[in-house]
Amino acid sequence: MNGVTLASVTRSEWIKFRSVRSTLMGVIVTTVLTVGLGALIATAVRANWSQMNPIRKLAFDPVSASLGGTLFAQFAVGVIGTLFITSEYSSGSIRTTFAAVPRRGLVVVGKLLVLVGSLFVVTEVACVATFLLGQSIFSGVVPTASLGSSAVLRSVLLGGVYLTLLAVLGLAFGLILRQSAASISAFTSLLLVIPIILFLLPQSWQNAATKFMPSALGHSMMSTNAPENFFGAWTATALLVVYVIVAFSVGVVLLLRRDA
Amino acid sequence: MLRVDHLTKHYGDTVAVDDLSFDVAPGVVTGFLGPNGSGKSTTMRIMLGLDRPTKGRTSIDGHAYRDFPAPLREVGAQLDAKSVHPGRSARNHLRALATSNAIPLTRVDEVLEFAGIASVADKKVGGFSLGMSQRLGIAAAILGDPGVLLFDEPVNGLDPEGIRWIREFFATLAHEGRTVFVSSHLMSEMALTADQIIVIGRGRFIAQGSVDDLTRTSAGTVFVASADDARLAQRLRDAGASVAVSERGLDVGKVPSSAIGEIALADGIALNELTPQRASLEEVFMELTADSIEYGSARAAS
Ligand SMILES: Nc1ncnc2c1ncn2[C@@H]1O[C@H](COP(=O)(O)OP(=O)(O)OP(=O)(O)O)[C@@H](O)[C@H]1O
Ligand SMILES: [Mg+2]
Repeated sequence: MNGVTLASVTRSEWIKFRSVRSTLMGVIVTTVLTVGLGALIATAVRANWSQMNPIRKLAFDPVSASLGGTLFAQFAVGVIGTLFITSEYSSGSIRTTFAAVPRRGLVVVGKLLVLVGSLFVVTEVACVATFLLGQSIFSGVVPTASLGSSAVLRSVLLGGVYLTLLAVLGLAFGLILRQSAASISAFTSLLLVIPIILFLLPQSWQNAATKFMPSALGHSMMSTNAPENFFGAWTATALLVVYVIVAFSVGVVLLLRRDA
Repeated sequence: MLRVDHLTKHYGDTVAVDDLSFDVAPGVVTGFLGPNGSGKSTTMRIMLGLDRPTKGRTSIDGHAYRDFPAPLREVGAQLDAKSVHPGRSARNHLRALATSNAIPLTRVDEVLEFAGIASVADKKVGGFSLGMSQRLGIAAAILGDPGVLLFDEPVNGLDPEGIRWIREFFATLAHEGRTVFVSSHLMSEMALTADQIIVIGRGRFIAQGSVDDLTRTSAGTVFVASADDARLAQRLRDAGASVAVSERGLDVGKVPSSAIGEIALADGIALNELTPQRASLEEVFMELTADSIEYGSARAAS
């Protein structure tokens, strides 16, 4: 019989992940927001297409238009990631967890693997589904795109990557702040409030800063024609990965130092 | 052997544990007594590697807790009855724990059965009564069949039947040669449960011994009734004893009963009664921890 290993801890975290209802609810909400709102947005685009001004028609991107639901789903995945750790603090089960696995790094890596593994599958399926549904809604009226094009395929798949990375960012916030409400507020502020504050800055600063925001990075990742002042898809992906690694590392360092 | 070695823990300005040292031997139930806030839970958290000591260390059979390849198979602990995710079933909670330490899942059913919660195993823990939560904590503690067991205030919330059950359970564990370390602030409970007792106050070591030792050494007076109390009192005082005279007889301190018998014999005074007086553990505890309690209430009042 082996003792505590990364494999045993990951299996244990997988049992924890799937044995609470909030995970199931989170996955359902993520899927419904991605696919359902995506379809709703696509339907609205189709209905208003004839009145749309020609310049916007030219810039229209059927890929990002069909992935609009991810703008909402990003909060759901953030909550799933956050709760995966903060619920252990609020219930006190973190002590049970760390008494069973004193090498806390294993617990965090186990959680990371479970979160990434499960949400990557869910969000990729949801993004492909909303893309296909969106194109079928557009078809005949609005220009459509096909997964046969490598740029389109990239944008759709990076949709799942974006949502998965944001789930990990939620986990990192949870590790740092340890409280559900505080972590979720901080996560939401990062995505919603800071971009609004940027609006108050002089235009030149705004142009320089906006593209660094996680939501702007997401836009770059999920578009075939992102605005010129934004990063390209791969640069945006790399930058978001760096953000997540930094936040996660801070969380892990704090976790190793603090009393449980 | 569970060892606490010059352990100190500060939380900001609060000194929760103050240069505390003691050993807990296997094969007996050891009670860990102290008033509220005396540092019992803190000491236990440090034993489990959950809190980092400011100074000193704790070890189990010479090893640091973190160094065990499968801690749950060495040490079982129940800290807080509610340290379980409320939305998870008891069975899934135990499965996750067992899996992390490579304990066979068949063991989960065994401990559920043993703790008497098999019938609610698939219900969410959030709906459990305090007593049921305590039982789940006990099930989790014995999951890995460990040689060392720590319980922090385990009788809280148990009904009389449950308390009797847990008392017998501790005795059985100790009888099997395990180390059983149980904290409480209830002396009366400890007197019935524990063989050995460690008393702390304000994070400091106060006393260690069997229930017998502690109740004997503390008050330690001997009640004496004789044919001539006045003369005996004088002789005893001459021998350095403290004597309180009452209508019924003498309360003699500072000399053992054997010495009293010898003095009476030497003087030819017939003894009618010679009874060592025992303080109740409750009294001993109050006496031993008086400082810490006064400190506690003074602080609460200010
Ligand atoms: N995490 C913490 N942060 C700050 N102070 C703490 C922390 N844990 C304990 N303390 C303080 O340390 C002291 C010892 O607390 P501890 O919980 O160890 O006592 P205890 O003997 O278990 O008390 P009780 O009988 O009430 O359970 C108390 O003054 C408490 O307020
Ligand atoms: Mg306590």
